[in-house]
Amino acid sequence: MLFNDLLQNIIGGVTVGSTYGLIGLGVVFLWQSINRINFANISSAMLAAYLFYTFYTQLHFGFFPSFICSILIIAIYGMLLRYLVYEPITRHGGDKLEFVVATLMLCILWLSVINATFGGLPKPFPPVFGEATSFVQLGPISIPSVYFWIFLVVLLLILGLYFLLRKTFIGKMLRATAQNKEAAALMGINVNLTTSIAFMMATTIVGIAGILLAPIYFVSLELGGGSIGVKGFASAVMGGLIDPFGAILGGITIGLIENFSTLFISSAYKDIISFMILVAVLLWKPRGIFNWTTKGD
Amino acid sequence: MKKLSRKVFVGLILLILINGNVWGQGKIDPSKPIKIALSAPFTGLGSILGDYIKQGALLAIDEINAAGGVAGAKFDLVVYDDQANASTAATVVRRALFDDRAVAIFGPNMSAAVIGVHTLAQQAKKPMLVGATSPSFRFDKVKNDYLFRLRADDGIKVAQQVKYIAEVLKAKKPGVIVGSTDYCTSALDVAKEAFAKYGIKIVDIENMKEGDKDVTAQLTKLKNAGIDCLVGLTHEPEAAVVMKQYRQMKLSAPVVGFSAWGVPAFTDLAGDAAVGVISVQGFNPADTDPPVKAFVDAYKAKWGREPSDPAQCYYDGVYLLKKAIETAGSTDSVKITEALATIEYTGVQGRMKMDALHNYTDICYISQFDGKIWKIITKIQ
Repeated sequence: MLFNDLLQNIIGGVTVGSTYGLIGLGVVFLWQSINRINFANISSAMLAAYLFYTFYTQLHFGFFPSFICSILIIAIYGMLLRYLVYEPITRHGGDKLEFVVATLMLCILWLSVINATFGGLPKPFPPVFGEATSFVQLGPISIPSVYFWIFLVVLLLILGLYFLLRKTFIGKMLRATAQNKEAAALMGINVNLTTSIAFMMATTIVGIAGILLAPIYFVSLELGGGSIGVKGFASAVMGGLIDPFGAILGGITIGLIENFSTLFISSAYKDIISFMILVAVLLWKPRGIFNWTTKGD
Repeated sequence: MKKLSRKVFVGLILLILINGNVWGQGKIDPSKPIKIALSAPFTGLGSILGDYIKQGALLAIDEINAAGGVAGAKFDLVVYDDQANASTAATVVRRALFDDRAVAIFGPNMSAAVIGVHTLAQQAKKPMLVGATSPSFRFDKVKNDYLFRLRADDGIKVAQQVKYIAEVLKAKKPGVIVGSTDYCTSALDVAKEAFAKYGIKIVDIENMKEGDKDVTAQLTKLKNAGIDCLVGLTHEPEAAVVMKQYRQMKLSAPVVGFSAWGVPAFTDLAGDAAVGVISVQGFNPADTDPPVKAFVDAYKAKWGREPSDPAQCYYDGVYLLKKAIETAGSTDSVKITEALATIEYTGVQGRMKMDALHNYTDICYISQFDGKIWKIITKIQ
């Protein structure tokens, strides 16, 4: 096995793993803010990808207008998610479990809506991040240009999110509301506004991820469920559902495990090996191995 | 006793009338349309195929009706969406055969759906003409007299793919990348057998799952096994993933893909990474053979786009059915089925005649994608 082969596989694993981490970010954000797991988290990625595809390819809006329109709609969708799903459940005495079941149904609903509207066949994503054979050569290693965009956006999102949650008043509001709504309200925090921001930001993050992932996943139903959704959750859990960095590192770890189990064991057992390791890790460290926030609790 | 006999007699007459088995039933009546049904996917995973299937069948129906129909009677098509799903297919096929009383049904087109519903055709004693290609419902396996296949089955296509790799490319160390569905794994079984006949050993078989987006590790192993040809046995999206990374890793061995690698659904997703790929195809619109060209021109004129596999087989299928009804001189489904087994017809797919496996044709093409069209290397009949 050549060193170049190893490096090429590390790049592949890290890129695909980062995409799992991006999806995990949305889970972490909502959990951090309102203490809920949104099982329709991945739907925002699919909806944003199809919206971008429609604006860019069918309505010929151009890259930035298409991107902004798609993300705006996804942010509004986040608000609707709050008022049409979260609030009614809470008002009628429902709790975390009811929210999980409702969002699980919502995930299936969106898949069916997209299937009925666009059909089940994957559509090619316009080459806005470079053609299929546009690569950057780093010595003997070639990296698709879209990978650079993924790395860049992951980095920006993570830094932005970290700054927002840890260093700004909005971040403090979000965290305080998540820990104790009543106490936060008594301290003068606008809980209503904070909850709306949390929903809108969670769907927006995953929506951006969806547009970024579409060149790899195509504009397809796979962006609205399936393995990427499960692995997104696994990444978030590996970060203890708390740490944005932890979620990304969790995703990268999964990506690398997948690649190396194929490379050194067998492609036929890739998923078996990956998920066995994931289950073992969770049994050993149920609060996540990349969770520095609650370590020692 | 006398009263009872009269009651039995009247009852029998009524039963015969209700069943429609009165004298003259089945005769072609020019004043009554001949109802036929089509079950194809218009939503769900195979939705793009549904449009091609319907348009192929409708083109033939419109041509036949415009030319006076079948002995004066016009075809009337009832279309159902089976979502390429066995349970939905069961519902719509049952409805078409038993409620609509169609004399024959085209489709389903997905093999899994055909496997689930072909016995309904047997129960209804009505012919089912399908474009699905899995070898698993060949006549020797399912023994259904009412099931007919309008395209070359996958077993034949894989055998031709291997023949090209062995005889033309003269590859000695082929490597395979294979998906996990029945379509992919049954192709692998045929490929193993076919390579063994040439005394060629497959040096590495790598698996990928539908939905996988990174095959760097699989391609690294294939490269390190020293392959001199990559054999692709996956569905379209996975083929696109493989080719993008194949180009990324600058691998140079020729790539010969199965039928899913030879359709627009693959080339659209793979973009320029698909250039140079060789594939075995069931249909190629670039074929200049007069019947193919006439079909492609008529299709383009009517629908404003180029036909794609399997449009041609449903077009041929409608003409085949017309000939069967004319030969039977009846719209009785059993007589049509008997005629279908004996008639011969020359259409877009060349000479079509049912063989022992209930397949009408073995036609396939080996073609190479040049970035715009699939250039035919060889046409096999």
